[in-house]
Amino acid sequence: MKLFVFKSKDEFIGIESDYVHRIIDDSKVTQVPLTPEPYTGLLYHRGELFDVINMQLLLGYQADGSAEPNRIIILKWLDKKLAVIPDEITGMIWIDDEAESKNEYYHENHKIRLIRPDYIWKKLSELSYGPHKI
Amino acid sequence: MDLTKYEKIFAQESGKYLKELEDLLMQVEKNLSNLGLWAEIHGKVHSIKGMARALSLNKISDLCHLMEEWCISFQQGKLMSSKAAVQTLFDGSELLGTLISKSGRLDSFGDQKAYDSLISLFQKIPPELSVTAPEPQPPPSPAYAQPMIKSIDYVRIRYSFIEELLGLTQEVQLLAKRFPSFSQDQMSSGLKNWVDHYTALMKVLYFQLTQLRLMPVGDFADMFRKSIRNMAKENDKNIDFEIIGGEIQADITLLERLREPLIHIFRNCIAHGIEPAEERTGKGKNAAGKITIEARSEKENLYIKIRDDGRGINKSPIMKYLQEKQNITDEEIADMSEEDIFDTILRTDFTSSLGATELSGRGIGMSVVAQSVDYLGGSLTISSKEDKGTEFSIKLPLSLSIIYAIIFSVGKYILAIPTLSINSIDRIDLSFAENPELYYDTRKLMGVTGEKSGYATVLSLRYTADNSAFTDGKSGLKLIVDNVIGNRPLMVLPVGELLSRIKLFSGIGIMENGDISILLDVDNLP
Repeated sequence: MKLFVFKSKDEFIGIESDYVHRIIDDSKVTQVPLTPEPYTGLLYHRGELFDVINMQLLLGYQADGSAEPNRIIILKWLDKKLAVIPDEITGMIWIDDEAESKNEYYHENHKIRLIRPDYIWKKLSELSYGPHKI
Repeated sequence: MDLTKYEKIFAQESGKYLKELEDLLMQVEKNLSNLGLWAEIHGKVHSIKGMARALSLNKISDLCHLMEEWCISFQQGKLMSSKAAVQTLFDGSELLGTLISKSGRLDSFGDQKAYDSLISLFQKIPPELSVTAPEPQPPPSPAYAQPMIKSIDYVRIRYSFIEELLGLTQEVQLLAKRFPSFSQDQMSSGLKNWVDHYTALMKVLYFQLTQLRLMPVGDFADMFRKSIRNMAKENDKNIDFEIIGGEIQADITLLERLREPLIHIFRNCIAHGIEPAEERTGKGKNAAGKITIEARSEKENLYIKIRDDGRGINKSPIMKYLQEKQNITDEEIADMSEEDIFDTILRTDFTSSLGATELSGRGIGMSVVAQSVDYLGGSLTISSKEDKGTEFSIKLPLSLSIIYAIIFSVGKYILAIPTLSINSIDRIDLSFAENPELYYDTRKLMGVTGEKSGYATVLSLRYTADNSAFTDGKSGLKLIVDNVIGNRPLMVLPVGELLSRIKLFSGIGIMENGDISILLDVDNLP
């Protein structure tokens, strides 16, 4: 299978490329009040709204400003969709299909953490939304 | 010659004919001797046959041919049609649908078997044939045999095509934003005017295109007609289906997400709400049950109500659940409103806590329906009267439609409130304001730091004239905001799953230039 790889902080993250719908450049993300920290805002692209997520923050790192929304990865799977902001996009690699079920994969001495969009969604769902957190 | 293109056109066109055919069959089922209807049915089958022949899709054209033979006999009054015959024609049209979707191929054993048995059925004379055919009614207005040709008012467009168009116009708009800044001598004022004009037109074009995403609720409700008929047949019931307010327009994506929940509600109405014919006549009701779907737009909401005239919801399992599982006393139950009692059905643990037999199936899985509506940022309420019927009322937030809203900022956030909900916008010195309890600091709510004192911009919400169910909001409230940006038209999209958890936003507004503002649900301010 093809793996789409991007960097977040010092980690290489790999997502199965079938879930990657599109990469968009230079888009305007609108901030939304009362959302948890990794929720960067809303993006309106080609008639659709996307929740935009800062991957650094979602993975539990402190923001260091390197995740700028100038390149956004749009993920689509089942009936769900998300937009995530990486630090940088590394590229695409081919891996064995049996590696699919593993959590990590080594490519040229770099450890790539394999994640599924469901995992991102689950982490997002566990966060707190609404006025009570203030 | 590449036939795939023609096959696609065939699939589209014949799909349309099939739908019309099924509608006609439903009508003729209630009025078997209407020869005019039989003539129309014949016409539809004939059209599909013609197109299939042109593409050498013989399986389709053969089936159509035999179906047509039956229709001609009924149309000419040579044979009397029967319910069983109509059912066979329904089966035929269903199989045609399968064949059309598979470009005329039968790729499974099951399909082949169904096809063979239908063909042999159609080769016989229609079942329950009556020798005494009624006097044939002449088809309407034969004197002027001029065929009626309607003007073309609508065309069918693939929905994804609209999305693509919207996307493209949006990209052109973005391009305009990136127009490089030239100095005075590099760019003539004429060119600048031209670019401005072009950009303005682009915005208008985009805005108009967005409206293509709307669909009349009636067309949407029509899609259920066949399922309702089939479910009624399975349950051996006779049901009339009525659509009220079908002309109201709503966003296709919103309606699409209502499809499953509505089917669930209809199934409940048919299987458990509507009584069998004998029971109904015993109660002095019409033997045929009635299901009504009613759409209405009120303020910024879309209401969809589904009513049946059945036996109503049995309260005793609800009472039992409340007493035994929730430890609620009889006195407390007596204080509960009807609405609260029926809302119990929507709880996730309600159905699982009671045996299906005890519930006699009523309301099973309604929690799933309530959840789906909740995801759309809407709400579901139930009202029911014994032997009169049950009403499921779905209230949805601003569906995709164009509304005018006051756009304002609070800190770094851009928010909006529908203009209709706002009474006035004022600059008020807060230290001298009357009725301070009416003032609501949106800055505090949004976690915007920095105290506001002295003069502030205040949006006064409209007082509502009556206290009907639709106006339970905080009327007369005055919202303190930072700056008012203006009164703008907005295209409203439903709030997504994550943001709907905040329960404070009624929609996401897209401005003409593609910028986003978030619609504040003033009824739900904490």
